[in-house]
Amino acid sequence: MIKKIKFSFIGLCLIPLLYANASVAEPGTALKNDSLRTEPYADAKITGKFNRGDNLDILQKKGAWLQIKLNKNTGWVRALSVKRGTASSKSSSGGLQTLASGRAGTGQVVSTTGVRGLSEQELKAAKFNESEVKLLESYTLTPEQGQAFAVAGHLKTVKFSNLKAGKGDTK
Amino acid sequence: MNKPNLTIKPITLFLATLLAVPGINAAAFDLGGALKEAVEKEIKQKQEAPPAEPQAPAANAENINHNNAAEATAFNWKNPSKDEEVLLGREIAGNLLGAAPLVKDVALQQYVNAVGRWVASQSERPDLPWRFGVIESSDLNAFAAPGGYIMLTKGLYQKLENEAQLAGVLGHEIAHVVKKHQLKVIQKQQLLNMGAGFLSDKYAKDNNLMSKAIGSGAEISARSLDKSAEFEADRLGLSYATRAGYAPLGLPDVLQTIGHSSKNDNSVALLFKTHPHPDDRLSALSDAVGNKLDHMPEGKTLEQRFYQLKN
Repeated sequence: MIKKIKFSFIGLCLIPLLYANASVAEPGTALKNDSLRTEPYADAKITGKFNRGDNLDILQKKGAWLQIKLNKNTGWVRALSVKRGTASSKSSSGGLQTLASGRAGTGQVVSTTGVRGLSEQELKAAKFNESEVKLLESYTLTPEQGQAFAVAGHLKTVKFSNLKAGKGDTK
Repeated sequence: MNKPNLTIKPITLFLATLLAVPGINAAAFDLGGALKEAVEKEIKQKQEAPPAEPQAPAANAENINHNNAAEATAFNWKNPSKDEEVLLGREIAGNLLGAAPLVKDVALQQYVNAVGRWVASQSERPDLPWRFGVIESSDLNAFAAPGGYIMLTKGLYQKLENEAQLAGVLGHEIAHVVKKHQLKVIQKQQLLNMGAGFLSDKYAKDNNLMSKAIGSGAEISARSLDKSAEFEADRLGLSYATRAGYAPLGLPDVLQTIGHSSKNDNSVALLFKTHPHPDDRLSALSDAVGNKLDHMPEGKTLEQRFYQLKN
């Protein structure tokens, strides 16, 4: 009897540990086919591939790269190739599962009971507020003031062309 | 510009609502389709070759212009000037602020304006009088109006973790203004309205053109743009923030966060209704970026100076 109690006690103590372990690696899903690399650099050695929709674990983030674990392989991938959270079923946390399904058109989002929300109805009923616009306009900065703010934050302009649509854009 | 005409008066509200409903114009007149085509052609041509006044491509459009010239408000709907664009945006911004006022935190508003101004300076329209505001709403959303009026909700601001993410969100809205996404929608609607007015004197005599164009209240802010316009704003928003020296993944980070909201969550109801799903936006961005960020500097996130809300 005492033994039994002891065991369940130990079991109970282990539960938080299990959760703690689980939270280290965040689940993720591959957004596209891409490669797994040994280091967080494009020219690092490629050690594996993964496909769109693959479930994986995110271990850490470094700049625009994520270290992930996929099956038994660990490596670095471009952060934009991965979506945080799981897209498909099977995880036990019901809360997470509803996350990805809020596509436009599926939800009947007419009723809004939220506090100080901004529903369509509220927007339609809105009346022009002159003093608030004046207040908004009073915050307008000059380009020079913006530049000074950038300098203060050690922000330096970088050459980068406007991105063009990729193949997935028309979906 | 005739200022008193700019505020929406109750008498014209019904008419405005009526005219703002897409489809009614087209259904009411046989010429609807032809008119729409002429209007679209007109806007496109004006946007591509602005300064000179080229020959109007269709008789309808020509008449629309003359009709307009006789109006008290001689707003050039075919080819609005920068001042006219700002005036129109001011009207929309004022209506939106009527629904949700600014958060009364001067330091917050100044901070957001500094970030926004710097990002806007990396866009193709640095000369606009860009202004930014955080509005009182627990919703997650952001709005842009022509001429450089940009607002984001307090709810969305509270989800942000650093300055690079703020820069990405503002960059997306800045791109809408630069590409005149909303302006084009309003222009199209307005030219259609005026076409209707030309055909039916009843409408032509109504001077309140501005309210007719933007509908009732801040309704225009609740309308959806084309999906392609949203994807384009994502690509440009990321590009502007990157050029400004920020970590390029600020905007995608925010999309990741928003994507974790349940569709049953009221705070994202309007955002999800008017935008492609964050997952689709992330995929599209991912495809557009490809390997283009591989050799870019990491950029700054500046969480240490990210303004923390008091409550």
